[in-house]
Amino acid sequence: MPPAIARSLRSPRVVIALLIILGIVLCAIFAGRIAPNDPSEQNLLSILTPPLWMAGGDPQFPLGTDSLGRCVLSRLIFSARTAMLVALFASLGAMIVGTILAHISGYFGGATDWIIGRLVDVWMSFPPVVLSLILMVGLGIGLDRVILAIILVDWTRFCRVLRSEVLVVTHNDYVAAARLLGFTHLQAIVREVLPATLPLLITLMSLEMAIAVIVEAILSFVGMGVGANQPAWGQMIADARQYVYQSPWNLLLPALAIFVTVTAFNLLGDGLRRTLDVRLSESGR
Amino acid sequence: MIGLIGKLIGRRILTAVPILLAVSALLFCVLRLLPVDPAAMSLPPTATLEEIEAKRHEMGLDKPLPEQYLIWLADAVHGDFGRSIHYRRDSGELVAAALPATIQLAAAAMIIAGILGIGGGLLMFRLRGTALEPLADMVSILLLSIPDFLWALILLFVFGVVLQILPFTGQVGPELAVPRVTGFLLVDSLLDRRLDVFLSACQHLILPAVALGLAFSPTIMRVLRSSLFEVYHEDYIQQARLRGLSEGHILLRHAFKNASLPTLTLTGVQFGILFSGTLLVEVIYSYPGMGNLMVSAVRNADLPLIQAIGLTYCIVVLAINTIVDSLYLVLNPKLRVR
Repeated sequence: MPPAIARSLRSPRVVIALLIILGIVLCAIFAGRIAPNDPSEQNLLSILTPPLWMAGGDPQFPLGTDSLGRCVLSRLIFSARTAMLVALFASLGAMIVGTILAHISGYFGGATDWIIGRLVDVWMSFPPVVLSLILMVGLGIGLDRVILAIILVDWTRFCRVLRSEVLVVTHNDYVAAARLLGFTHLQAIVREVLPATLPLLITLMSLEMAIAVIVEAILSFVGMGVGANQPAWGQMIADARQYVYQSPWNLLLPALAIFVTVTAFNLLGDGLRRTLDVRLSESGR
Repeated sequence: MIGLIGKLIGRRILTAVPILLAVSALLFCVLRLLPVDPAAMSLPPTATLEEIEAKRHEMGLDKPLPEQYLIWLADAVHGDFGRSIHYRRDSGELVAAALPATIQLAAAAMIIAGILGIGGGLLMFRLRGTALEPLADMVSILLLSIPDFLWALILLFVFGVVLQILPFTGQVGPELAVPRVTGFLLVDSLLDRRLDVFLSACQHLILPAVALGLAFSPTIMRVLRSSLFEVYHEDYIQQARLRGLSEGHILLRHAFKNASLPTLTLTGVQFGILFSGTLLVEVIYSYPGMGNLMVSAVRNADLPLIQAIGLTYCIVVLAINTIVDSLYLVLNPKLRVR
């Protein structure tokens, strides 16, 4: 095991965060087995049932039901699947696009760097939430569209931060030496520059996962997210908002789920930042 | 000094023009990907195919895309952003009516975030090396993980629903007539000497502004703390200690002043994020600003309105960046010597 990974795994932050994430991922993978009910099955005879520990609770619905009589626990579990899919693929996509552009920009410099830099400027002049909403109008709703929208908005986070790192690494003697040994530009980037930026990349990716979960929740909340057929925490909150007086639990539970998930990813990012010794300014997140 | 700022603003406007052009072209392309037909949407459902075709021609939708963009651009430069399909009113007017409310909310949130962030940052720094440091660290990460819309929901639930001590819908009590001079409700109510309106508006502003401020404050906290750490490596801090100044005096009079500069820059950069954070908070509190207008436009696929709002957000972000840079110039004497 590389020493950096061993060092990370000794950090309590990283371990706690990984355990929480593992729990959520297991929920997401085995949602069909864990969930007590079908998340979209409506039981109109038992709507807004309170959780089990309150008066009137029904053992069939451990965390109660929503305004359409759907099992809240099952919806929470299936929503974890939505959130994890978005977190994984959106951050992976944003990472790939951002990293490639950052390496091209930082390695070659000159006109390429200028063009990519201006592209980032244009993107950054848009508040991310507004841009993703506009993209969702153009792309239409659905899980894959949400992922695509987040990739299209958030690649700049990777590009901007990684570019300056690539710029520093590229000027190291060993990169020049590799070129002298007859490495092509591509080989030099992949074998010499990329490994040096990897710690920063991994840290950014973990922070991006937290952002992706929030953005997915926001989009689902305003009804421009994964669509009504797929349970999502943001959607659960939006549904529960009208019944907040009768059943506050329906609102608080998905909010708690978002909070725990985002905290885990932020904690992981913070732990990695410390143990991998990444010089990540606060503005880089 | 004023000349320098003038030059900076001039340069910024020059760079803003190509950015805005690119953004508007981008917006235009994205929105034309839509499978909806704005012409059909602005006619009653009983319209015949010929009528729709005539409307398409009238709206210029049968022309090639670059030409459509140029027409839109020419109109936009003259302040005409097209009619909103849903509201059947001028998009520019709708945006102009909603913008002041959002600026007011964002400004109030910024003040709250500043107070909480600076207070928290100084406190976290004072706790360095003590047994409480890991706890403070943990709290800051937890705070960082609560996005603005969760704060909005939590505050609404606690103060609006459970305790019922603060209003949580709209910008002012529904029974009060709203005076309109500048569009900024807090200013207008004072100009109109309507203290009742002013107080009601303040009450309505508390929850959304605090929600946004709370979500934004941990960023300021963490930047201020790390800037303070950097400043404390400087010789003049050691010098101040040797002169026998108290820790509190050193922190507030020497270190804070210098650490506030990077904090200000970053806060400025992030202000755009706070400004877009108003979007969901406005929706949650039914606050009549840009966010609610945007969400309604998006839900109704109201293209002209989305375009106008998108561009406005972009202009606001660029304007804020310019203001922050000018402030930086004012506060940092090193930049003034040329």
